[in-house]
Amino acid sequence: MDFFSNIVKIMAKYWKVFLLQGVGYTLLLSAITVVCGAVLGLLLYLGRTARFKPLNWLCIAIVEVVRGTPMLLQLYIAYFLVPKILPFHVTEFGSVTVGLVINSGCYVSEIFRSGIQAIDKGQTEAARSLGLNGRQTMMRIILPQAIKNILPALGNEFITVVKETSLASTFFVGDLMTSYLKVKGNTYLTMECLTIVGVIYFVLTFILSKLLNAFERRLKAHD
Amino acid sequence: MTENLIETVDLHKSFTVNGKETLHVLKGVTEHIAKGEVVSIIGPSGGGKSTFLRCLNLLERPESGKIIFEGVEITGEKVDINLHRQKMGMVFQHFNVFPHLSVKKNITLAPVLLGKRSQAEADEQAEQLLSRVGLLEKKDEHPGRLSGGQKQRLAIVRALAMEPDVMLFDEPTSALDPEMVGEVLDVIKALVKSGMTSVIVTHEMGFAREVSDRILFMDGGVIAESGNPDDIMNRPQNPRTKEFLSKVLY
Repeated sequence: MDFFSNIVKIMAKYWKVFLLQGVGYTLLLSAITVVCGAVLGLLLYLGRTARFKPLNWLCIAIVEVVRGTPMLLQLYIAYFLVPKILPFHVTEFGSVTVGLVINSGCYVSEIFRSGIQAIDKGQTEAARSLGLNGRQTMMRIILPQAIKNILPALGNEFITVVKETSLASTFFVGDLMTSYLKVKGNTYLTMECLTIVGVIYFVLTFILSKLLNAFERRLKAHD
Repeated sequence: MTENLIETVDLHKSFTVNGKETLHVLKGVTEHIAKGEVVSIIGPSGGGKSTFLRCLNLLERPESGKIIFEGVEITGEKVDINLHRQKMGMVFQHFNVFPHLSVKKNITLAPVLLGKRSQAEADEQAEQLLSRVGLLEKKDEHPGRLSGGQKQRLAIVRALAMEPDVMLFDEPTSALDPEMVGEVLDVIKALVKSGMTSVIVTHEMGFAREVSDRILFMDGGVIAESGNPDDIMNRPQNPRTKEFLSKVLY
């Protein structure tokens, strides 16, 4: 069995490239994307519900455009545009991360929207009738309840992002898929390298989704 | 002449249904609630009772007309409605207690957040209020563990913690199981006896007759008849009041 012995040989030589560099960068990229994406998503959500109408339209337009165009295209635009816009030096990793964050933020804003809209209108009315203003109502009454809907969905978004970061390999940013490109370039063993990377992606997302399930059960147990 | 606590002048409100049809719910409601007065609002569903009540603290904004609360026209421009709402407690049909907060925190959140009390003062007040409605031993539970009647009693003391000048009750017993109606009505009765100005939208005719100084009968977006409980219940003048009462009283 050449195939499996090749895989063993490749792993023996390049395990650091796959497991340290590749997995490390993929997780780093995903974590940055989801955390910054969550912040951006919240801002976009607040923007589209703000009282200032033009801001609503702008935020809705951004979300619609991002959700309606291919992610790879957005990453290309970010890759070329971000270094031109920002006054300081940005690495390729940085530019591509900006693209990922904007993409994820738009999806996360939808997660916020559905999580917040699921909270009964009576909660807002009760809070406002006590004299709380809109912001206090959101921060103290609505968000703490919505977070229970939002966190599991954010976890799913994280898993999705782990897989989507593979598109960033187009720009050689060092993620797991970039490891594939590198090792394949050295060994010319395409199927073997793809198999290794595929298994690693699967194990990553499988572990993450199991962790997420356990976390969700704990959230539910709290009720 | 007693002092008016709330005065409404020619309130109009309509809702858009399904994006096109407009429903004219309030068609010019002019009314006044005196300080210390207990007013019940009865009438058929869709007659505008709840909408009128919800306009009083601007949970619904009337399209035209004025609401004057403690001498301030709260429907006017540049009025900070949040300040006035602190003085108007509201109790809802579906309780709307905060499920993520403990019973005690439900009560103390607003007074502390709005700078009315320190946490320690609010805690002490909450325990007094809870013991008044027989819920003291539940203070550290979450509302999910309470029955409907207990939730509504909690909602009432939550509103009272802001020391309001008027209490607005929006069908406070309509969502309760029958055996829990009594415990909630008892709390409201005790409150009313203590002199709290109250406006109560209710379907409990016996209760309305017992506690009210005045009953308003609303139908078709207007106050069709208003008077003392004895007159309204026993000698209604308006044919629509007669018809409604003949259906609900037996």
